[in-house]
Amino acid sequence: MLELKKLSKTYKNGVKALNGINLTISQGEFVYIIGSTGSGKSTLIKIIDGEEVPTSGRCEVIGINVGKLKHSKVPIYRRNIGVVFQDFRLLEAKTVFENIAFALEVINAPKSLIRKRVREVMNLVGLDDKGHSFPNQLSGGQQQRVAIARALANRPMLLIADEPTGNLDPEMSNDIMTLLEKINREEQTTILMVTHDRELVNRHLKRTITLDSGHIKSDVLGGGY
Amino acid sequence: MANFFRRVTRHLKEGFWGVIRHGSMSISSISAVTITLLIIGVFLIFSINVDNITKDIEESVAIVAIVSFDYEEQTELDRIETSAKAISGVNDVIFSSKDQEWEYYQNLYETEETAAIFGPFQDVNPMHHAFQIEIENGDKIEEIATGIEAIDGIDSVEYGGASAVMLVSALNSIRYGGFVLVMAVSALAIFLIANTIKLTIYARHKEIGIMRNVGATNGYIRSPFVIEGMIIGFIGAIIPVTLCVFGYIYVYDLLGGVFLTEMFVMIPPHPFVLLLVAILSGTGILVGLVGSFFSVTKYLRWKR
Repeated sequence: MLELKKLSKTYKNGVKALNGINLTISQGEFVYIIGSTGSGKSTLIKIIDGEEVPTSGRCEVIGINVGKLKHSKVPIYRRNIGVVFQDFRLLEAKTVFENIAFALEVINAPKSLIRKRVREVMNLVGLDDKGHSFPNQLSGGQQQRVAIARALANRPMLLIADEPTGNLDPEMSNDIMTLLEKINREEQTTILMVTHDRELVNRHLKRTITLDSGHIKSDVLGGGY
Repeated sequence: MANFFRRVTRHLKEGFWGVIRHGSMSISSISAVTITLLIIGVFLIFSINVDNITKDIEESVAIVAIVSFDYEEQTELDRIETSAKAISGVNDVIFSSKDQEWEYYQNLYETEETAAIFGPFQDVNPMHHAFQIEIENGDKIEEIATGIEAIDGIDSVEYGGASAVMLVSALNSIRYGGFVLVMAVSALAIFLIANTIKLTIYARHKEIGIMRNVGATNGYIRSPFVIEGMIIGFIGAIIPVTLCVFGYIYVYDLLGGVFLTEMFVMIPPHPFVLLLVAILSGTGILVGLVGSFFSVTKYLRWKR
């Protein structure tokens, strides 16, 4: 479902972020991407999300050559992908329900469908009773659940989690991790998780890809840090 | 179709909420619109009135051509009339016979004594046949007068002369000056509003980023901002429209419909104020639309 071939990215200021990455991820996999700061993790995610264009090589997601997409087609492509960030990125002025519904309103889904799907994902992330709360009334872990629910609302094939536990304490991190595993299992969503959390990676063993200055240093099934 | 309406209602809703949610930003934009529209409104009232007054005065500037006694045959009169009409800038040529002129002249001094003085001369009409020449605008009055004087059979031509020419050119300068001023103030308004809206967009780049992340197209992201801009423009127009409309009606009544002298007749408030309402609210809405459209588009263009 995700195929990178000799993928390289050099920024305008001359920084070489990625150097000929080859990588294949199949549908339904759960993969960690680890590596120190500046190893190219963020660039990799930006290319997969269509935000950056590779300098050379190919990035193919669900059969779409992402780097070759026209600007106007990127948003349509992005509906196949859910992204979760370290800082949650919720709309403070909207309730939990509205935040999740927003992802569906944007693709102009009918109201009845929105209501049904929002309840489904709220149930999936375990926030059934928080629909009317505002983000600042929730704990960090709960806010991250809302962000995950929003990312899942569109039934994406791929969920990218960029340091989803970076702002959470270990216990909450563990909860989020369990939730992601549940999503991976129940919704068959492919999950790509960027993390720094050594303990988490070692506790929930998965395929682990280590990036180092733009190269893949190691790619181990059930690896650990 | 259902899709389309769903989208439009969503945008409208988002736009309205946007104005309310970003209250302080909206207020600053609305004040910018209010102040600039107020200035535009005052200049507009002033310049449209000056425009109207100059037109009135220009229209009243006319040329009278006096026919020589040697050319009083009907065929000659017809020939003069045709040649006068052929001169460019001439709107209409009206014949006034010597009898009409004589009557008009006597009526100018109609008191009992003068009637007695004119009485004995009733049958010896000293007047010439004449043509009243209406012209399109005052700019060419001198040129046209010379042209008419050159026609065979015209004894002399009367018009205001140099003073009429000067009056017309002075009024023209006032009119163009007013027009340029209104244009300059309008340009300033658009710049100011576009700038304020740019600030509100910058304040919301986080929101735009989230919309992008969940797969909103640029058109979808832009619409609520544009609607917000139009609403801000409309709200900003309310105070200037009210002040200009009622202010004009008040001033009109206060001055009795004339400005300084009887020569400068003001435009009656009705239906002039309706024009003001249309222009000011239209400008407000348009400026909001254009300003927000360009600001958002500029913000969105370079990002994927």
